[in-house]
Amino acid sequence: MAAPAKAVGVDGPLFKRALLGSLSWLAANHEEVNRLNVFPVPDGDTGTNMLLTLQSAVEDLKESNAAEVSKIAKLASHGSLMGARGNSGVILSQIFRGFARAVEGKSSLTPAELAAAFEEAANAAYRAVNKPTEGTILTVAREAGRAAATAASAPEANVPRVIAAAAAGARAAVLKTPTQLQILRDAGVVDAGGFGLQLILEGMLKTFEETEAFLSTLPETKRSHAPASQVSLALPEGGWGYCTEFLIEGNNLDTDLIRNQIEALGNSVLVVGEPELVKVHVHTDDPTTVINLAGGYGKILKLNVGDMSTQHRRILETEGAAPAPTRPNGVGIVAVVAGRGLVDIFRGLGVDAIIEGGQTMNPSTQDMLTAIESVPYDEVILLPNNGNVVAAAKQVIGLTKKKVHVIETHSVPQGVSAVVAFRPDRSAEENVRAMKAEAERVQTIEVTHAVRDTRSNGLKVKKGDVIGLINDRLEFAGEDYGEVVNKALGRLGPDSYELVTVYRGEQASDAEMAKLESAIRSNYPGLEVEVQHGGQHHYPFILSVE
Amino acid sequence: MKRSFAVVTDSTADLPAEWAERFGIEVVPLKVIFGQETFRDRVDITGEQFFSRLAASTVLPKTSAPSPGEFAELYQRLAKDHDGCISIHIGATLSATGEAARVGATSVEGFRVEVVDSQTVSMPVAFLCRVAAECSSLDEAVAAVKERVSKTRVLALLDTLRYLEMGGRLSRAGAMIGTMLDVKPILLVKDGEIKPVDRVRTRSRAIPRMIEYFRSDEPVEYLGVVHAQSADDAERIAGDLRKELPDQEVTVGQIGSVLGTHTGPRALGIVYIKR
Repeated sequence: MAAPAKAVGVDGPLFKRALLGSLSWLAANHEEVNRLNVFPVPDGDTGTNMLLTLQSAVEDLKESNAAEVSKIAKLASHGSLMGARGNSGVILSQIFRGFARAVEGKSSLTPAELAAAFEEAANAAYRAVNKPTEGTILTVAREAGRAAATAASAPEANVPRVIAAAAAGARAAVLKTPTQLQILRDAGVVDAGGFGLQLILEGMLKTFEETEAFLSTLPETKRSHAPASQVSLALPEGGWGYCTEFLIEGNNLDTDLIRNQIEALGNSVLVVGEPELVKVHVHTDDPTTVINLAGGYGKILKLNVGDMSTQHRRILETEGAAPAPTRPNGVGIVAVVAGRGLVDIFRGLGVDAIIEGGQTMNPSTQDMLTAIESVPYDEVILLPNNGNVVAAAKQVIGLTKKKVHVIETHSVPQGVSAVVAFRPDRSAEENVRAMKAEAERVQTIEVTHAVRDTRSNGLKVKKGDVIGLINDRLEFAGEDYGEVVNKALGRLGPDSYELVTVYRGEQASDAEMAKLESAIRSNYPGLEVEVQHGGQHHYPFILSVE
Repeated sequence: MKRSFAVVTDSTADLPAEWAERFGIEVVPLKVIFGQETFRDRVDITGEQFFSRLAASTVLPKTSAPSPGEFAELYQRLAKDHDGCISIHIGATLSATGEAARVGATSVEGFRVEVVDSQTVSMPVAFLCRVAAECSSLDEAVAAVKERVSKTRVLALLDTLRYLEMGGRLSRAGAMIGTMLDVKPILLVKDGEIKPVDRVRTRSRAIPRMIEYFRSDEPVEYLGVVHAQSADDAERIAGDLRKELPDQEVTVGQIGSVLGTHTGPRALGIVYIKR
């Protein structure tokens, strides 16, 4: 470590220099950030968005000769809000905002004050996001803040060391992001936004010349084979919608109210700002409605609407989509699935074509036929995954020249178990045998609400009651999910099973999910519980027991 | 009767401790690095110590191959009382160790070093060392070992793919394991490549599947079971294998820190050399 303990505080000129260092370091590396971008939408522009946001942050303060750190921080905060682009850019603007708030009225910062400002910057970013996701830039900001605070409390603390600690904390957090976010793990990359923040902190550090030597001893951040991972992500059926961004200029703008209204219209919603100026970012299928709504609050500035599906497709094209690996056995798999999460799960397991449908939307024989014809294999295994679809599925046999095998899966868990058992090196007949055996081995519990008063299987059920079906048969009715699920698990005999996978439907809330999970865990501590987002309609929960 | 040639391997061979002495095998450690701290595999850190540290660590460890200089030093020392050496190492597709050995060997003049790429990892490398150690000449040893390289197999069950992926040793693309769902793959190391051969959802289903796969590969010459923090499972599998194959020696071994960095905890392997 070469940093001499100089008693230097962070004043306006120094902070300005540090931000310029951040800008040049991010500018030099933003392409790499782009390549890492898979979350929340793999459109490959996180680095560019963060760079443009940072450029805008630095724009105004470049001309400033302010001696106070508070003034420079305020300019950066305002500039970044004006120029924020993309999810990460908006969060970055909130980091600057939190920092500026923390240093308000200060002309120069001690190491402890600097660390506190880093921490407050992270807190502000967390507050700005409706549903904070760990394993993203938020986590990295928080860990950087923590590391800075630890360094600031050391006896020989100085500013370079605090910044070095923040950068190191960021780096460590970035490396951990794949353990926190499945999509990163699947793609084999670290989080792009988090890595962008790491670069910003490293850029600050670089401006402290005396710490250069220290920096060069730090290990290289592992940067995975990102381009390959990007192309492996399939485009969801409905596309990614439009990335819509703009500013609203007005008076007494209520960010919470605006956020609530916009949340109903899309996802990845960020609404941040001041009563006079609010930045909006949303991924929506219907940008016009969003803009009309926002126009009611004030003047719309800097509107930017991008078709993310096009952006994503463009990436696939420019980077050359990986050809689907040809299977040695020449056997394709087609499945009937409903719910975005379940579609992803089935695709991830190697299903070649998916027909949307299930309990309430039974696909036609024609739908299934079309899907089978679309698959580049002459032999196809078809998984209906619902009792009501089996009959239509079987009719496909004989309507096509292809050889079709229908495995009569009656539920999502049966379908998943069947697909997991598929092996590309095994013949269709061997696969069908193994897949059937696995499908029969798994037990299905489906949980929903009774749509009317009824009496079935000796049970009296009132409309609205929670009901539990084991392998298609109504077995339990009750007041809440946990009660019904625990009874059903008790009936199956938990000692004979190891793993419960809960597929959460679109109706189930976070709180209901958490409650059900803890109910199972506390009643059956011997069972492993895995929660997956299924997104299915009609059934708040589907459980697979194996 | 003393052998005229030396047998060298590296710490990823998961060589049972007593074999080093019994068969006269030299082990060069790879390194595992936690942040700023470096440990020599199986010298400064045991498998046990490594996994308890891994569980507590916020940084992922990195691993590094021995340097050519470290190999050169060893070969120099061995040159004093041997007239040659066979150096058998982890597959070149998995580690730079063999390359370091090759480079190290070039700096020792007048001493014959035969570096063999085992195209595998873990205890099959130890089996190859044993084959070499039981030969009476270096030429014979090189031939006997090379003949068996393509017959080495590691059948592995990982508790999670996370570590293998982060170490860059496996990509999910094309492997049909790119999924949100926690699926446990059974991997096979053969001819220097890692490829998935089966996948299951629960560990208790995976173990019989591994054994089933192993049966299709019989008969075997050498057989072992290796594990990372799963001694009970490993002993149970070894017990089952011994029952099935009463005349077969089944060696149980623990995965060291460097290999453990890539397998993660709770990994299990059935390792063998086919006949």
